[in-house]
Amino acid sequence: MTSSTSSFARLVRNPSVVPIGVAVLVAVVAIAMSSVVTKGVANQLTELLLLVTLALAWNLVGGYGGQFSLGHSIFVGMGGYATAVILTLFKTPLIPTILLAGLASAFIGVLLAYPLLRLRGPYLAVGSLGMTLAVYGWMINWDFTKASASYQIPKYAMLSIPTLFVYTTILALVAFIAVFLLVRSPLGLRLVALRDDETGAASLGVRRVRTLIPVWALSGLLTGLMGSLGALQKGTITVDAAFALQFSLDAVIICVIGGLGTLSGPLIGAVIVYYLRQFSDDYSNLALVIEAVVVILVVRFVPGGVVGIFSRLIFALRVRMGKPPASIATQALPVVKRRDRR
Amino acid sequence: MDVVVQGLLLGGLYATAALGLSLVFGTMRLVNLAHGQFLVVGAYLTSILVSIIGGDPLLLAIPVALVVGLLAYPIQRYIFTPVMAQGEEAPITAAFGVGLAIQTILILVFSSDPKSLTAPYATAQLNLFGIPINVSLLIATAIGIAIVIILTFVLKRTPFGRQVRAASLDAEAAGLVGIDVKKTYARVMAISAATASIGGVLVAMSFAIAPSSGTGWLLRAFTVVVIGGLGSLPGTIYGGLIVGLVESVGAVTIGPQYRDLVVFGVLVIILIVRPNGLFKKAVRT
Repeated sequence: MTSSTSSFARLVRNPSVVPIGVAVLVAVVAIAMSSVVTKGVANQLTELLLLVTLALAWNLVGGYGGQFSLGHSIFVGMGGYATAVILTLFKTPLIPTILLAGLASAFIGVLLAYPLLRLRGPYLAVGSLGMTLAVYGWMINWDFTKASASYQIPKYAMLSIPTLFVYTTILALVAFIAVFLLVRSPLGLRLVALRDDETGAASLGVRRVRTLIPVWALSGLLTGLMGSLGALQKGTITVDAAFALQFSLDAVIICVIGGLGTLSGPLIGAVIVYYLRQFSDDYSNLALVIEAVVVILVVRFVPGGVVGIFSRLIFALRVRMGKPPASIATQALPVVKRRDRR
Repeated sequence: MDVVVQGLLLGGLYATAALGLSLVFGTMRLVNLAHGQFLVVGAYLTSILVSIIGGDPLLLAIPVALVVGLLAYPIQRYIFTPVMAQGEEAPITAAFGVGLAIQTILILVFSSDPKSLTAPYATAQLNLFGIPINVSLLIATAIGIAIVIILTFVLKRTPFGRQVRAASLDAEAAGLVGIDVKKTYARVMAISAATASIGGVLVAMSFAIAPSSGTGWLLRAFTVVVIGGLGSLPGTIYGGLIVGLVESVGAVTIGPQYRDLVVFGVLVIILIVRPNGLFKKAVRT
């Protein structure tokens, strides 16, 4: 009896179990609810979860990696078009197709990362922006993508709204867990080390390209899957919609508002941005202005975003209550090392 | 031959559009992601003035440039400069936010339809030794060269120019000898935005311009600046000429619909091959 409670207590104390457990629980509840909620709600939640996935994937590169990518629209478009084209040409079953589209996007991620990783800071931002517009310019003139005409997702592959919602929930859950585990892995530590002090990390033997390529690949994979499901939700796909720069902008806005390089930042940011857009439905541009101003204010005054505000509040509260404040550094780092010493 | 001359003149226009970006980078190592939006703002404000009081867009571009400069001053002083101390990523994000805000406000006010500025002489064509020349592009090239000469004179020969050069060499030391670096930065950004706004008017006289064209022009300007060597004003002219030439030749050989692809492709290739610019010695960090 006692041994079971203590092992349970140890399980709960394990820092990776609680967030993953909560995420799995939320996802299971969401999937269970999928047949109950109205189609409108399921549709909206699908959109929200797609934004969450996009932001989680971007945050790997842009937040933890410190690489301000404006190229993620390419992955979204790649995922969407790969899905539509493979389904149309080969009549393959849906789930392998989605996975294939994700893999194609991951491959593009590696392909883009090789040249982009030679660039740093603003050069990377402008370089990836250039790639986005170049790819757009190519796709919009390419007969294979039916140029500016739309591409239909074949009828047999269309999903009902609740099913699509289940798929999206699973994708968002996978993205969350993948980011969570990656950031706590040695690879994730190297990633953050490179962001914080490249020279220092290099002097400890961290290889920039070798560290960043897998991260870009994972980010591309997740974004491509998101693009694939997004295309399935819309039913038709156009170059204008699929390769829109807006996806890159959304990812940046969400992560900056929520908190760059934090686990919950993309989730919080996505919810804020999504509901801001819902409330100002007829004024989508007004919402965008508000978002842009908030981004500026966040960068200027609270670089940690919403998550940063909260962690500062908690920090201040703990100090006031006389508890030893857990420093931000130990919160972000895995506790493995400390346990070893004990 | 026609294509080459057209390309070079187009390059003059590009150089004018890119000068501000180069100036800001040369002074404070800041890549202003909102540069394209400054161009577009200049074009739109001028188009308002033209529709209200009528008259010549080029003359009206001068008061508009002053206004845009005044608008840019606080953006640098109260947003970019404080954020620059936070490291590399913060100013990128801040400039991104500023650009996005400007672009969306323009869409809200003017809708997203493209606009262009017209003047009777702008569409005219000269015939020089049998080669047709667009007057608007010729004017743009001339203005670009004039701005380079004026700016170089200001930077080299005036007290303000000395402050700018001191601040760009070593901001801390400049502060120690009594230069207000923050104000200097803000003034440089104001000048940059003013030239960008003039560039925007010149662009709108040759091409249609929409609120969302800012990003495309940012990329063109950045390509020009990267080729010409980051921060070098005369280099910007060479860079502009090269980009204009490549784009015109590319448009003729591959197809006019691939114009953007050619320019942005060149940018990406140059960034990959020579991340520090074509005419600068590579700096290994």
